[in-house]
Amino acid sequence: MSTPSYLIRRVLQAVAVIVIVTIVVFGLLHALPGGPARGILGPQATAQQIARFNHEQGLDQPLPVQYLHYLNQLLHGDLGTSYTLNAPVSRLIGERLPKTLVLTVLSMVIGLLLAIPLGMWQAVRRNRPVDYVITTLSFIAYSTPVYFLGLILILVFSQVLPWFPSQAPQGDSLAQVFSDPQALVLPVAAGAASMVAVFSRYMRAATLENLSEDYVRTARAGGSRSRAILRRHVFRNSLTPVIAMLGYYLPVLFGGALVVEQLFNYPGMGLLFWSAAQASDYPVLLGCVLVISAATVVGTLLADVVQRIIDPRVKAGRA
Amino acid sequence: MSTVIQPAKTPGTAGTPRETSGTRLAVRRFLRNRLAVAGLGVVMFFVLFCFVGPLVYHTDQTHTALQQVNLSPSGAHWLGTDAVGHDELGRLMYGGKVSLTVGLAAGVLATVVGTLWGAAAGYAGGWIDAVMMRIVDAGIAIPALFILLVVSAITTPGLPGLILILGLVSWLVPSRLIRAETLTLKNRDYVLTLRAIGGTHARAILRHILPNSVSTIIVATTFQIADAILLVAYVSYLGLGVQPPTTDWGGMLSAGLTAAYSGYWWLILPPGLAIILVVWAFNAIGDGLRDAFDVRGRG
Amino acid sequence: MTATQASDAPAAEPILELDDLGVVFTTESAEVPAVRGVSLHVRPGETLALVGESGSGKSTVALAAMGLLAGNARATGRAVIDGTDIVGADEAGLAALRGRTVSMVFQEPATALDPLTRIGKQIAEVIRNHNDVSAKDAAARAVGLLRRVGIPEPEKRAAAYPFQLSGGQRQRVVIAMAIANDPALLIADEPTTALDVTVQAEILDLLRRLAAETGTGVLLVTHNMGVVADFADRVAVMYQGRIVETGPVEDVLLRPSHDYTRRLLAAVPRLSVAESDERPTAGEVRPDDGSGSGDATAPVVELRDISVVFGRGKRSVHALDGISLVVSPGETLGLVGESGSGKSTAARVALGLIPPTSGAVSLFGADLARTRSRARRRLRSGIGVVLQDPVASLDARMTVGECVAEPLRVHRRELSARDQRSRVEAVLDRVRLPRDIVRRAPGELSGGQRQRVSLARALVLEPRLLVADEPTSALDVSVQESVLKVITELQDELGFACLFVSHDLAVVQHFARRVAVMRAGRIEEQGPTGETLLHPETDYTRRLLAAVPVPDPVVQRGRRAERLATLAAGRMEAEA
Repeated sequence: MSTPSYLIRRVLQAVAVIVIVTIVVFGLLHALPGGPARGILGPQATAQQIARFNHEQGLDQPLPVQYLHYLNQLLHGDLGTSYTLNAPVSRLIGERLPKTLVLTVLSMVIGLLLAIPLGMWQAVRRNRPVDYVITTLSFIAYSTPVYFLGLILILVFSQVLPWFPSQAPQGDSLAQVFSDPQALVLPVAAGAASMVAVFSRYMRAATLENLSEDYVRTARAGGSRSRAILRRHVFRNSLTPVIAMLGYYLPVLFGGALVVEQLFNYPGMGLLFWSAAQASDYPVLLGCVLVISAATVVGTLLADVVQRIIDPRVKAGRA
Repeated sequence: MSTVIQPAKTPGTAGTPRETSGTRLAVRRFLRNRLAVAGLGVVMFFVLFCFVGPLVYHTDQTHTALQQVNLSPSGAHWLGTDAVGHDELGRLMYGGKVSLTVGLAAGVLATVVGTLWGAAAGYAGGWIDAVMMRIVDAGIAIPALFILLVVSAITTPGLPGLILILGLVSWLVPSRLIRAETLTLKNRDYVLTLRAIGGTHARAILRHILPNSVSTIIVATTFQIADAILLVAYVSYLGLGVQPPTTDWGGMLSAGLTAAYSGYWWLILPPGLAIILVVWAFNAIGDGLRDAFDVRGRG
Repeated sequence: MTATQASDAPAAEPILELDDLGVVFTTESAEVPAVRGVSLHVRPGETLALVGESGSGKSTVALAAMGLLAGNARATGRAVIDGTDIVGADEAGLAALRGRTVSMVFQEPATALDPLTRIGKQIAEVIRNHNDVSAKDAAARAVGLLRRVGIPEPEKRAAAYPFQLSGGQRQRVVIAMAIANDPALLIADEPTTALDVTVQAEILDLLRRLAAETGTGVLLVTHNMGVVADFADRVAVMYQGRIVETGPVEDVLLRPSHDYTRRLLAAVPRLSVAESDERPTAGEVRPDDGSGSGDATAPVVELRDISVVFGRGKRSVHALDGISLVVSPGETLGLVGESGSGKSTAARVALGLIPPTSGAVSLFGADLARTRSRARRRLRSGIGVVLQDPVASLDARMTVGECVAEPLRVHRRELSARDQRSRVEAVLDRVRLPRDIVRRAPGELSGGQRQRVSLARALVLEPRLLVADEPTSALDVSVQESVLKVITELQDELGFACLFVSHDLAVVQHFARRVAVMRAGRIEEQGPTGETLLHPETDYTRRLLAAVPVPDPVVQRGRRAERLATLAAGRMEAEA
């Protein structure tokens, strides 16, 4: 399939996915008992006050009407206004999203840079001690709740050994975040750990599969050495399926960011979402989930495009 | 569109004794995987620890004992006591029951839902498949922790509610796996043969596709349980946990978070290590099963 | 390069010498010896064919000679190439030898090349492994090699990825890699097995020309006696890991001395190429007792003007383009063609597995598009199906008994368990399988046994039509012979019609009364088998028949000369 028509189809699919996301989240928020009024107005609020709040926010209308209204707003780039922070949701998210992206992208890049060589090393040394050791460590990293890992990191590398601050960089601008790179170390490490675990496993499996492919035998028969075969052929062939998995891993990274931001007090989207959840601030909750899902969908799309660049077969629809 | 397939592709293995039974072979392969066997041992230990342990090691986990809070480990309390005076070792057994039960149930629920959804989409194909898989894509795009946090802010479910919620946020990955499996199986020659002679779809699904997916489903379930137990550990941290005095390992861990800064290590290390060990064990078992059955599953 | 010349020449030092070579595989359950005490040699300029059936160990010998055995294999004895013993050589020593002194062509061109690297670069890699040349010079030499192996527009094609080439072209690229450094020895492991017969002839021509140009010795591993007759000077026959007979090609193929060789050659289906040849007996006149119910003379299956289009728009593929076929009661129609010709698609349309884009299918006189699904299902009880792959054809989770009984469970649910069992046993008797096989798992059976189980399942409802899609092409010739024999005998006995899809013209000639030759989704020609395959009307069928190598070196030499002359004449005509 030609690239433009492929892109058009993928973008349409992405839009469909995002529409489904809005339905799911909108439905979920409004299906749960309670409603936001009690949370916003406090336990002392009278029935009259609650009714007025619901009327002002349009919450007394039928759900489909509310949904269509929201969708209409969305088409005009309006994510609504926060109940509690008295600011447009789009501005709140606009301030916070870049910081969360810094955290997740850094975790992802550093995680991949560690995971890929580790996975290949394991595959080459399959069933040797180093393979078992890395496998065990991967499983442990994968099995540790992020908040527990973050806590251990703080206790060890901030309290016992005073190497890094226990708080993430503060401040509103990205410049302020990058001015304190020391403070990013522990949050990024906490975010990257399970990434390393998962992707070193993927890379190990992909490399093992490729090592048994016929083309490796052909290269060997042509007089190429193992190391050269690994570098010239196996590496790229193994990387393609691993990149395809990246898009699907983004939600896990964002989920991790939610916890990491709370633990290290990093004022990103996760923290915004956290406080909005405590305050029943529906517009903010909806907006955050929507933006995160959109980021995931875009990430998946990007992973596909990268795969098309690396693997000429995908473009020709042969893979 | 047949390709010309000819004999003599396999390297000569003249007189290979044929394997008598796939299951027996799988068991043998599994038992040779040391990590997987260790995982099985760990799971068995924790099941005994949590379900049989309290019968041997009696502690009071309902009443607070404010005269003996945050005691460090000693002969009387092997793992010390927590902030309201519960014996920590006893609490580890008590909380483990909840963690294991919820994790197991949610993992199985997620796999069942995912299997049905994925098999239906894969077998139906066409636009039905397209729509069903877009829904899965949408579900995957919403991080589970975000949903759990929203739910926790609005409502406090009981144990069955918790299992339901956890199951409903984690059926997506198995559904993709089973769909892929179904797509392969429905074009197997024996299914085509059955359809050519007039066999029904029901027969194709019930007699061929599902039985042949069993290994994949078992492996998926194992990984799903591991993930669900891990997810249970997050639930209390997000404020959705079970209500005191009932608790689970995640609840113990998040309750001990602040205590950790005061140096009460015995309040976080035991539940933390228990979670890591059990989740690790299920992952190792899943890994071993996948290699033993030679099916696909996560790397 | 004939055998006579080779033996008359002063005996040059062998380029390959195997001395008491043994290979043992360590599997999960046991140590399995695959090769035992194999000794042979290949001299420069000669071709030694190593033949045998699957499991004979012939490919293992080839891999052992390259030092390419899998990690679980252990070699003993000696395998000397140009003075170096491969057994026990280290990686550096092997790498220095491979691609320069000895190189290899593999069976599966589809997977032999790195899918993500341009073919020019893959060839250049072999050049640079052994020569200190710049990347640019290596690239230029790669283009030259592509030209030498007959790739058109080599400058442009060097930048292509493997998936952009056809199977035959890919095999040419693998050959270009193999001859990049003018090796003294070329090991070819089933080099044409995955290819269509016309492409096979071209690749064999190419290999012959290249080997002659450089005086390269060739070790040719193959199961195909026609290829042996076409290519080899000497032959070594392997059976159960040992060499049972070695000799010049004329002696081994025409006057075999070992009992196994004789049996093997007897099982090879031979294409009759002249009127005087022994005429095939099968499919001649079939008793048509009209045992099937309903209209006995109406065709059992008829495809009228069937087209099948996969995909839409620019990427759509016309798998079938207006074909019409009829299979009459009791007769066998052979559907032959090369890969991509649409023969399997046609069979699947007849089976109702692929809905035609246009045209009509009628089964036992009823138009399938106009019958209700329940009635259609009942109609289909009159069909039996045997597909190509013996492994994929049977559900590994069922016992043999359950597999065979499945059609009864679909259509004859009123039968008691005991009646079902007796029917299963009766049909197992018919396909010559022991009754106690019912409790075994398909995984425990050999390929031939599995295909017989498939056949039993196909026949348990006593169908009026058997659709067999390449039922024996995954089997060794001796097994193929026995399976075909069972089908023929049962057809005589039960009188079912048969739609027989095959790429093997010799098999179809022996088995089918009528034949339809397919090419690119169309029917090239159809008619009585004897007529059509002896006096083809179209060029394509003629070319197809000429490309089939016959297992007689003397006859084959004549056929080859004739074919090359026709090709040359055609080329001159085209130029004029």
